Amino acid sequence: MKNIARELRAPVPVSESFDARVMDAVRSMPRYGRLGLWSRLTTPRRRTFTITPLTLGLIAAGIGVFALLGAAHAYVDVNRAAKPIVAALGSKKAEPAQRVQFVLVAPDAKKVAVVGDFNGWDSRHAQYQAQHRGGGVWSVTAPVPVGHHRYSFVVDDSVWVVDPSAPRLVDSDYGVANSALLVEHQQ
Amino acid sequence: MEVASSDAVIVARVLRGDVEAFRVLVDRYRDRYARFAFHMLGNREDAEEALQDAFTRAYRSLARCEDPERFGAWLFRILVNRCRTAGARRGRRQRTFVSDDMALLAAAHDHPADRTAWREEIERALTRLRPEQREAFLLKYVEDMGYDEMSQLTGVGVSALKMRVMRACDRLRELLSEVHSA
Repeated sequence: MKNIARELRAPVPVSESFDARVMDAVRSMPRYGRLGLWSRLTTPRRRTFTITPLTLGLIAAGIGVFALLGAAHAYVDVNRAAKPIVAALGSKKAEPAQRVQFVLVAPDAKKVAVVGDFNGWDSRHAQYQAQHRGGGVWSVTAPVPVGHHRYSFVVDDSVWVVDPSAPRLVDSDYGVANSALLVEHQQ
Repeated sequence: MEVASSDAVIVARVLRGDVEAFRVLVDRYRDRYARFAFHMLGNREDAEEALQDAFTRAYRSLARCEDPERFGAWLFRILVNRCRTAGARRGRRQRTFVSDDMALLAAAHDHPADRTAWREEIERALTRLRPEQREAFLLKYVEDMGYDEMSQLTGVGVSALKMRVMRACDRLRELLSEVHSA
């Protein structure tokens, strides 16, 4: 068997254009931050805009309308103006839940569940039990309220596994990592 | 000097916006990982595609590489997954390839003393292993990994990996002895 392995260890050269292809693909992707936030805010950058006279006129008209509306609004009584804001806050509805698919590759698992702040970290919650889809792939699609969440997978009721495809957050209480999830309003 | 820089130094440079520094990592891992991809997928074109995909995915997720000093191991894990995906996607083509190989295998046997032919026989035998056995065999014998390292890389238990390697060895012996006894 070692003779076979020795043959297989021989180098396998790639085509000459390989590096160039990888670098072209990499260059076409967003570049990581070259400048820090402060540098980005304070470094002068030159921008060129082209604008037609018609567009310029429309913008000027829009600014004029906003200025007139602003002046008219200044006469409205402050107490009256505040009421609609309070009413709007009072009638705020609970955020709707969106259906989110969780996927984990765990070839040796017998059971996989999703736990998070949206189900009280309960690994027995019926809606968050993943099903085996073959080839070691486990998945479940379940409702999660709009907003920021922390979650994790629990394999075989004992091993907590972060989602390799999601950003990680270290839990401030326990120092262990969880996965981060942002559920947005459906457009 | 770039070649002497550690992976962590190069990764830090890329994360600061020096895209061209990524070329050092490509140069550092290209050949070794091309070998694994080639043996896993059975042809150069698919191997290069999987390897290129692994490099670009690594770049895209570079900020999430938890231990930049071990960038190579992290990239290898991505490549192993890309090869699994590519292998599954091209399963049908692979079967056709293997079927066609039977004729080639017989032809190659006309020159058993030729080392190139021997290597080709090994390559063909390799393509006839089950993908998970081929992966385990290559990691153990060609990449020279320990079972614990293989387990971390693949997410498969040590005992299952030992079984896969053993079956791969048995099957390779069987296939190659068929060639020599034919």
